[in-house]
Amino acid sequence: MRPGAAPAGPGALAFRRLRRDRWALAWGGLFLLLVVVFLAAPLYADVVAGTGPSDNHLTDQITIAGEPEYVVSLEGIPIGPTWHAEYLLGADENGRDLMVRLLYGGRTSLLIGAAALALTLLVAVPVALAAGYFGGRTDSLISRLLDVIWSFPALLVGFLLASAVNLRGADIGPLTIEPGSKLIPIAVIGLVYVPYLARPLRGEVLALRERPFVEAARAAGFGSPTVMRSELLPHLWTTMLVLAPLLFANAVVLESALSFLGAGVPAPEPSFGVLIEDGIDDTVFSPHLLLAPCVALVLVVLSLSGLAEGLRRALDPQSAIAVEVVHGQ
Amino acid sequence: MIGFAARRLGWALATAFVASIVAFLLFWTIPNVDPSYWLGGAEKGTNETRARATEEYGLDDPLPVQYVRLMRSILNGDVECFYKCGSMRSAFLDALPVTLSLVAGAALIAIATGLGLALLCVRYRGRWQDRVITTAAAAAYSLPSLVLAALLWAFVAYRSDLFPNEGYVPLTADPLGWAQHLALPWIAAALPFAGAYTHVVRASLLQTAGEDWVRTARAKGLSEKRVIRRHVLRNALIPPVNIWGLDISHAFGGYALYVEVIFGLPGVGLMTSETFGSLDLPPIVALAIYLAIVVVLASAIVDIITAWLDPRLRRSELRT
Repeated sequence: MRPGAAPAGPGALAFRRLRRDRWALAWGGLFLLLVVVFLAAPLYADVVAGTGPSDNHLTDQITIAGEPEYVVSLEGIPIGPTWHAEYLLGADENGRDLMVRLLYGGRTSLLIGAAALALTLLVAVPVALAAGYFGGRTDSLISRLLDVIWSFPALLVGFLLASAVNLRGADIGPLTIEPGSKLIPIAVIGLVYVPYLARPLRGEVLALRERPFVEAARAAGFGSPTVMRSELLPHLWTTMLVLAPLLFANAVVLESALSFLGAGVPAPEPSFGVLIEDGIDDTVFSPHLLLAPCVALVLVVLSLSGLAEGLRRALDPQSAIAVEVVHGQ
Repeated sequence: MIGFAARRLGWALATAFVASIVAFLLFWTIPNVDPSYWLGGAEKGTNETRARATEEYGLDDPLPVQYVRLMRSILNGDVECFYKCGSMRSAFLDALPVTLSLVAGAALIAIATGLGLALLCVRYRGRWQDRVITTAAAAAYSLPSLVLAALLWAFVAYRSDLFPNEGYVPLTADPLGWAQHLALPWIAAALPFAGAYTHVVRASLLQTAGEDWVRTARAKGLSEKRVIRRHVLRNALIPPVNIWGLDISHAFGGYALYVEVIFGLPGVGLMTSETFGSLDLPPIVALAIYLAIVVVLASAIVDIITAWLDPRLRRSELRT
């Protein structure tokens, strides 16, 4: 540091640690790359593959190394990976391009995961602030409620909720949710993970509440919402940043499990879970149908875990934040 | 201790009660939906099915009356269902040992592996063995059970004669067959947890090993084995035991669902997914409540065991 320069704050220090952490950067880079690739699904479908995720090509023929080949053979066996622009990873039993479906599926899974994470943050942060700051009866009511949700497995709660809503849709105020809507897995996954974020945050608020700067803000006449927003919230970023990638990974895995069980994204539309469910049917002749979504899902989870670990090393070197999540259970 | 157990079981009952009300309201009375619509199933919403359902289920009665009637039939085991009939409770009790075998075996494997690897890490702390194990554990932790189960079923079970494709044999009938049916599901379910537990136990061991009383034990001249076994391990295992407890109780409604579906194990997970596919309302609510009871009881039992291991927890506030 140059003499006379202001000392670096904790944020700048953490950022510096993160920038020097090669593994964290590598995992973060891989994750960003995956996001970009999956988001570019429509581009790939239009420009490279020239077919959509739900377009069947049962009777088409393509030319590979000068030889004409059926996309789906007369025995009904789809073509394997061609490593060409068309059917890069092969086709499924309806002659749909697997690479196109995989990219669209990844896009759907990531979007659902991101939206669910946003919902979790949106609900968990105010709830944790209120519980920790007001204490007393508010706290015990909220904490007990969180405990009840937390004591049930996320997948079971998600499966029950999603099945209930999927069967007939729901009207929530002005919002009408159709059966099969993607809002269902988003809402279900987002809400199920609220306790996993709200519990640690509440603990922190509880400790922060007694600190002098909070007392000073209250003495200066600021109301509760202001104190929560401008005195308490800034201290919660660390925990939120460390837990967010883990919750994101969990949300993606939970979406896969729900879709696999038929309670998430409805079947013809691809997502990781739907593709795994499709792929497991015939792995003797078409192992690519199962391997591709499995590898893609593992890469997403692995890169997010690596990123989370790196963020933790940078932001929380003492490992003070308790992590109570194991993927998608 | 008995006081703690009683309080903990009381809380478990209260949680199950709340869960039953939520399940009832969720499936029975979502606003502006007439349950008889989908009681009618395929013949959705004809006047005839609606009248039949309303009469048969007493859907005109006030909600508390309906709730009590439904709960009574669920707990008696004579849930009436619209299509296939048969006692839900006895079907559930038949399926439970399968899931118990899956969950107990997987938990045992995960805990033993995690504990063993963590002890190795501590012994070789900071050396390459430590690094290899922690990296492998992080990788295992990032492999979702869903992917593992799908791959193991498709590429191992389906292609070899050693592991059956589906089904289950009770332990009492044929121990070897039991293990053959469950070996791959156990691996699929246990691997991510084994990875997570290696990290958790390692961190806890390292933290405990730095405590003053451990140094005192060494200074007293105790053997390293004794220090680790009596002084470090006993205390270091308390935080992981809590995590194991939660994971075991969650497993019944967690990975059991898809692992059983993939491996065709006739446990409560497979039953859940089949029942939900049938669109038959009372069995669905019954199953949700049976599962809630199992999860809540499992976590209560685990908490009581934890409190028995660590007397300090008995006095602390009730956890769920």
